[in-house]
Amino acid sequence: MDLRPLVLLAALTACDRSTAGGVPASIRYPDHVAAGGNQPPAGDITNPLKPDSTNAADGAKIFSAMNCDGCHGGGALGWVGPSLVDGRWRYGGTDGALFQSVFYGRPRGMPAYGGILSPSAIWKIVSYIRAQPIPVTVPTESFK
Amino acid sequence: MRAFSAAPFVFVLSLVQGTPQRDDGQWTMPARDYAATRYSGLAQITPRTAPRLRPVWSFSTGVLGGHEGQPLVVGSTMYVVTPFPDVLYAFDLTGEGYPLKWKYRPEVNPTALGIACCDAINRGAVYADGKIIYNLLDGHTVAVDAVSGREVWKTQIGDMSQGETTPMAPFVAGNRVIVGPSGGEFGIWGWVKGLDLATGKIMWTAHNMGPDSSMLARPGRGRYSGEANIGVSSWEGDSWRRGGAPVWGWISYDPQLGLIYFGTGNPGPYNTEQRPGENKWTNSVLARRPSDGVLMWAYQFTPHDSWDFDSNAEMILADIMVGGRMRKVLVHFDKNGFAYTLDRVTGEVLVAEPFANLNWAKGINKRTGLPIVDTTKTTGASRGNVRGICPSLEGGKSPASPAAYSPRTGLFYTATNNLCMNFEAAPTTRIAGTPYIGATTPYVIGPGGYGGAFIAWDAARGRPVWKIEEKFPVWSGSVVTAGDVVFYGTLDGWFKAADARSGKVLWKFKVGSGVVGAPISYRGPDGKQYIAVYAGIGGDWFLLSGDVRSDDPADVRPPADFVPDLARHTSQGGIVWIFGL
Repeated sequence: MDLRPLVLLAALTACDRSTAGGVPASIRYPDHVAAGGNQPPAGDITNPLKPDSTNAADGAKIFSAMNCDGCHGGGALGWVGPSLVDGRWRYGGTDGALFQSVFYGRPRGMPAYGGILSPSAIWKIVSYIRAQPIPVTVPTESFK
Repeated sequence: MRAFSAAPFVFVLSLVQGTPQRDDGQWTMPARDYAATRYSGLAQITPRTAPRLRPVWSFSTGVLGGHEGQPLVVGSTMYVVTPFPDVLYAFDLTGEGYPLKWKYRPEVNPTALGIACCDAINRGAVYADGKIIYNLLDGHTVAVDAVSGREVWKTQIGDMSQGETTPMAPFVAGNRVIVGPSGGEFGIWGWVKGLDLATGKIMWTAHNMGPDSSMLARPGRGRYSGEANIGVSSWEGDSWRRGGAPVWGWISYDPQLGLIYFGTGNPGPYNTEQRPGENKWTNSVLARRPSDGVLMWAYQFTPHDSWDFDSNAEMILADIMVGGRMRKVLVHFDKNGFAYTLDRVTGEVLVAEPFANLNWAKGINKRTGLPIVDTTKTTGASRGNVRGICPSLEGGKSPASPAAYSPRTGLFYTATNNLCMNFEAAPTTRIAGTPYIGATTPYVIGPGGYGGAFIAWDAARGRPVWKIEEKFPVWSGSVVTAGDVVFYGTLDGWFKAADARSGKVLWKFKVGSGVVGAPISYRGPDGKQYIAVYAGIGGDWFLLSGDVRSDDPADVRPPADFVPDLARHTSQGGIVWIFGL
């Protein structure tokens, strides 16, 4: 039986505390970030945090502190990992989809941070990403 | 194979002993020979005939991503390894249109895509003992039967959970397959391993730092002059355990001396203040015995690296006159912008001169071997944003773009970059399996306004002989031939032939995508000389070129800031080209 949705729900309702005890065993790993690619639970979830600049600024700090910028680039403009500020999404761009991408990871190289970050911290990353403006030049790049 | 008319080889005097004096027309290892010369003894293509070169064949690999490295030609078969997912193709060069003999599709864990720092590249295969041997990105080495395409053995060599991936080209010395990992940006504990050629079994593992027992170092024995456990004492605390020193470049071998030579990469993290000390043996050349891995000597090009100056570039072995004496040398173009000519028996620095614009050091003290560092260019989290450092961390030359050496001209030929950078370091935390970097490093085009150049270098005197400036950094490998023609490619997708003596461009062709691979020359079954090269921009240039990967609808990027025009001329691709007369 897959307990992940229940575990996730429990984690969300306790979003200000560490979730170390509530994270699925397949993701908990004390020494390194687990490979991504676990199927996230179905259903939508919404960001419990207010979409304000404080949460976004906190999220920017976490984005850097957790080495997210090492793959997605400074400002999340894209590096070895895809751009997160082009308004385009491989796995969906809703709050819930972004949360699940960070928590569970994704198959082509996105690690699962659910084992080492609290849901609250992940929601702050989501707040940061969602606060970024989409460049007006997308989708046409003009060479002059 | 048809015998080659051998007249030009009478004059070939200075090839390293043990390398074939006659060119058999094949290309069986990454740099063609043990000495890593990338010199082809074929001479049908000359400065006179090169303008008549034409494409005779091309093949889409079906893979995007940086097509670094080079094909192999063994007998009448060409072997091509793609970037992830590391497909191996075997083409029948005797058939009309060079049809596939077989295609090998390994299982490769896609998690590797998030652990390879700089695009999912592969630097090629090596042929030995009837097997094609290469590395998969996810930390495995495979050996495939060269005739049937069947897998002979597969060995896990790297640990992705610790940030190790394996795009380098293996090297075979005797009955050892030598391999190493990438991960200088992931806090790995760098190593090389020697695998048994027949079975793939790991026979020895030698770390590049740490206790002598882990480094297989025996201070005071042989030529190795390091202090006891210098791989620990030149670091603070246990920072060596996550200190980088990856081995992702090229390996060379002197069978007479019984030594392999390879460079190690940067110390991690980039923030120097998290790893006080000289950080040995990062950014170094190491000479080891291939049979058991024992460290015989080492020399560090950039102690306590402040700039990500990996030393993974090839060590080309040649016997040349230096200061009036014939010397057994090793020539190395470092990312730090200096070209070094070392005595490969002892590690002594004979020549060390800039081949690219640089300002981080005033020079190299040849007696001590130490750089004379301009401390205003030293970086670290407490030093804020240090501006105007040349070269950039792309290197005066990339190790990914190997140089060539012609014993006929006595010159070395290499791609170069002309970039400078600002370097703002910051404290960073190692979370195994994620990047461990700690710096922001934007680039600008260097003095002179050109992005790079292809140059000919006199390693005995330490000076350039000629230079072809290019608008963009030059990131391809090269091959030089007995016809005195040298080949290279550009990021905007031109493949060029130049006169090896004068640097005059003789011919060029637009190959469909930027060139980050290394050309080869071989003799086809029809007895004719051919040149083969990959097109397919990528590697660092996937990260730096702006919107050049168009197959992902969910990844659209702004133009690159310092080369905004590059994406006007290239997108990613993956094409094997063959050119002939």
